[in-house]
Amino acid sequence: MPPRRRRRSPSGEDSKTKRARVGQSTKQHKIQRPLAEYSLPFNGKKCISWFHEYTGPDEDTIAPEGMEKFCEDIGVEPENIVMLSLAWKLDAKNMGFFTLAEWLKGMSDLQCDNVEKLQQKLDYLRGLLEDHVVFKTIYRYAFDFARDKDQRSIDIETAKAMLGLLLGKKWPMFGMFNQFLEQSKYKVMNKDQWCNVLEFSRTIKPDLSNYDEDGAWPVLLDEFVEWTREQQQQSMG
Amino acid sequence: MPLSKAPEPQLHDQRKSEENNHHKKRRFSGSNQVPPSHHTPASKKSRQDDSSPEMTDSQKRANFSALTSPSNGLNKHASQLVTNKPGTTKKLVIKNFKEKPKLPENYQQQTWLMLKEAVEAIHKKCSIKSSLEELYKAVENMCSHKMSATLYENLKTVCEDHVRDNIHQFLGETMDSGQFLKLMDTCWQAHCEQMIMIRSIFLFLDRTYVLQNSTIASIWDMGLELFRVYIISNTLVQTRTVDGLLMLIERERNGEAVDRLLLKSLLRMLSDLQIYQEAFEVKFLAATDRLYCAEGQKLMHEREVPEYLSHVDKRLNEETERLYHYLDQSTRKSLVTCVEKNLLEHHLTAILQKGLDMLLEQNRIQDLTLMYQLFSRVKDGLKELYVACASYIKKSGKMIVINPDNDPDKDRDMVQSLLDFKDRIDNIVAVCFAKNEKFVNAVKEAFETFINQRQNKPAEFIAKYVDSKLRAGNKEATEEELERLLDKIMVLFRFIHGKDVFEAFYKKDLAKRLLVGKSASVDAEKSMLSKLKQECGGGFTSKLEGMFKDMELSKDIMLAFRQHTSNLDVPGSIDLNVNILTMGYWPTYTPMEVHLPTEMVKYQEIFTKFYLGKHSGRKLQWQSTLGHCVLRATFAGGDKELQVSLFQTLCLLMFNEGHVFSFEEIKQATAIEDGELKRTLQSLACGRARVLIKSPKSKDVDAGDKFKFNNEFKHKLFRIKINQIQMKETQEENVSTTERVFQDRQYQVDAAIVRIMKTRKLLSHNLLITELYNQLKFPVKPSDLKKRIESLIDRDYMMRDKDNPNQYHYVA
Repeated sequence: MPPRRRRRSPSGEDSKTKRARVGQSTKQHKIQRPLAEYSLPFNGKKCISWFHEYTGPDEDTIAPEGMEKFCEDIGVEPENIVMLSLAWKLDAKNMGFFTLAEWLKGMSDLQCDNVEKLQQKLDYLRGLLEDHVVFKTIYRYAFDFARDKDQRSIDIETAKAMLGLLLGKKWPMFGMFNQFLEQSKYKVMNKDQWCNVLEFSRTIKPDLSNYDEDGAWPVLLDEFVEWTREQQQQSMG
Repeated sequence: MPLSKAPEPQLHDQRKSEENNHHKKRRFSGSNQVPPSHHTPASKKSRQDDSSPEMTDSQKRANFSALTSPSNGLNKHASQLVTNKPGTTKKLVIKNFKEKPKLPENYQQQTWLMLKEAVEAIHKKCSIKSSLEELYKAVENMCSHKMSATLYENLKTVCEDHVRDNIHQFLGETMDSGQFLKLMDTCWQAHCEQMIMIRSIFLFLDRTYVLQNSTIASIWDMGLELFRVYIISNTLVQTRTVDGLLMLIERERNGEAVDRLLLKSLLRMLSDLQIYQEAFEVKFLAATDRLYCAEGQKLMHEREVPEYLSHVDKRLNEETERLYHYLDQSTRKSLVTCVEKNLLEHHLTAILQKGLDMLLEQNRIQDLTLMYQLFSRVKDGLKELYVACASYIKKSGKMIVINPDNDPDKDRDMVQSLLDFKDRIDNIVAVCFAKNEKFVNAVKEAFETFINQRQNKPAEFIAKYVDSKLRAGNKEATEEELERLLDKIMVLFRFIHGKDVFEAFYKKDLAKRLLVGKSASVDAEKSMLSKLKQECGGGFTSKLEGMFKDMELSKDIMLAFRQHTSNLDVPGSIDLNVNILTMGYWPTYTPMEVHLPTEMVKYQEIFTKFYLGKHSGRKLQWQSTLGHCVLRATFAGGDKELQVSLFQTLCLLMFNEGHVFSFEEIKQATAIEDGELKRTLQSLACGRARVLIKSPKSKDVDAGDKFKFNNEFKHKLFRIKINQIQMKETQEENVSTTERVFQDRQYQVDAAIVRIMKTRKLLSHNLLITELYNQLKFPVKPSDLKKRIESLIDRDYMMRDKDNPNQYHYVA
């Protein structure tokens, strides 16, 4: 997930950690596990020791570096939306971090105590995103997840990245919306605006024919519609 | 006296009805009273008339007794009655004639011959051989001998022959229509005269036989019937008559003088013959319709609206005259409607479009009055008129209010123009439109619409206008005039939606007036305040009232302070006056720290101590921007008093210490902010009263300039007021005042939303918006409301429903 990287570590550091991680992971790969291990019942101790594979010995939080390694182990890019689904399952509070408590609770719900078991669950986690109702919950969760905890709103860059992740493929107008945000003076997006973008993407037709200016849409979306119509008129004229 | 020459047409009807009355009397009461004589044609006859009813009665009675005598029951009965009376023994017996009296033979033929001769003589207009009395008696006798029916038939035949013969004179081809009409008139008059004469002779027949048989027409009616059947029912005659009449009327409409009596007589004939409506009126109305339809279209095109209207008025008057002089009254309604329809109703919109704006613009009172009167005659006329007036007001008002180039001159004159405009329109409504309520309301509505088409500015200018009128030195009006003016301004104020803008600017100006002591009169101020209070309620004026209270309290405090200081050893000879302004009542002023001379500082401290000693727990903040002083200055030309602001004072006091100072030095010493200092020095060195000399000389002050005391300063007055240069300041103030108003509005919107949500708990977006518009008293855009809603959602005062984004929940 790019926003995490951008916020947590400036780009210079980023490349360093990446290099470090590559070295680490080659070492880890030498540890062999029995193939049938994923069929064994869930084991709490195993789960905890799995957690510590990505942290320092006495730490109780997986930090961004550990997270990247974790992603690599389960064979998923950090930017993949399934990671959001997983984070939601774990009820993770902060993007780029898993605490031990979140890990234990979430992994035991998923009955996973090692990489293979989790890999088997990935399809299930992807499936969650297809569910209309669950997706909405995950979408709303994503706002708080991506939010700086001392802020009420998320900054516009994070918002754009997260929207791209969540709606990029589902919403035909996402490109326009992104462009609109580029040129607008908005610096942050609040939760109400965030939630309404999903509603908008779900109910409003791409030609905007069923958009009601007198409705309760946040002004941000009113302006988006106005802007889009102007663009369309310009391209037509 | 021919009947149809009766001066009033109604008389004809009256006579008929009286005849009916008479009829009834005769039948039911059997009275032998003399009937009213006015239906008898000549006085000579009336003498005969007097005797006739009695005779009729006696004969009737004789007949009656003859019929009943054989049974004699009545007599017996009478005798019984008689016998009951004591002392009467004689009987009176009445016996029948032994032989019935006989009429001479040939009586019928002979008498009729005599009568016929007489009738024919009347027809031929020669003298009658027999005396009228004889003839009358003859008729009476014939009737008495049951010859009425024959007599009536014979009479009818004779008249019929005569009338039938009359037709020939009308069939000649060569007559022109004038002649024809005259001939017709003569013939008709003669017919009437003759019939009256005949009727008088045959009166007895008319009163007995005809009255007793409802199917038989009276002699007069018979005459009319004959005339109708044989003369006027002839198609040629009828068309010629009617066409002739129509032509006469048309000629009169075209302005020629015509014989109105002829017209009147012939039209009376038509109504008497009961063919007025079918033969004449229909054609007449059609012709009228055609004429005015064409005329309306033509003149609408050719003439200016005022001329057109007066033409319509003229036409209506002419037609009314026509009704008065010769047309039948039954035509009134359809005729007037026809004219109104063709000349007005069809052209309402065109008239309004073409001429109303011009009339209103030029204040053409008379034309507008006429227009109102005419329009009130037709359906929807007034409605169209006031709608058009309203749209004119909106259009012209908008021209006054909207100022696309932001021309300051125009803005300055706006309120005066509005007042003048309102006066003009009010006058028109009162004088021309009869203060019609619909018009009054339309005017109100129109003013409200256009005045709010430009946001905030009108409110601001009204406030400033009031300020200019209430400020001292405004000598142009007496107190009553001022009062009237304020009332007028209140009318404009009532139209304004954003009253808070007005309040903000009014408050700012009021503060200036009060603090500088420039208010023209306390009474006027109080009166304006009470007007505002009446209009907007106490909440609106509470702060303004607070300002007045502050001023009064300050006076008391100063009295106490003077007493206090008289016991103290106070440095210098400064007289200090302090106004204590309650925060919140007054406009907000940004405090500005400046370096005051030590004497002043000392004095301030004394006051602060004194004040806080009286009111502990309060905080005093000195507003240096509002201060002003009177300085004594000694010039070469003599002593002067300078009335200046505190900042000006600070600059001037420096010149007690030295002769020349640079801008920088002054700035250092006084600590007045750059822009303010520039303006201050500009007022002292570049204004009208130049007590300082600036080098280099120029209109504006620059940072590098130097200032020198102008010892040569001369002025004709002893006390000189040097105004601060205010131009730029007011603009800044203006912006900040407006901003503050908007900020206040945001809070009001927030408060309203929370208030509504708190009572409703759950509300849809649209209902919330509607409710907000009901509660908020200033104009807001829906998007502004949405922004406030979003802000409140963001601040957790409310939340959007998770599943329905159009619903809001109140968050406790």
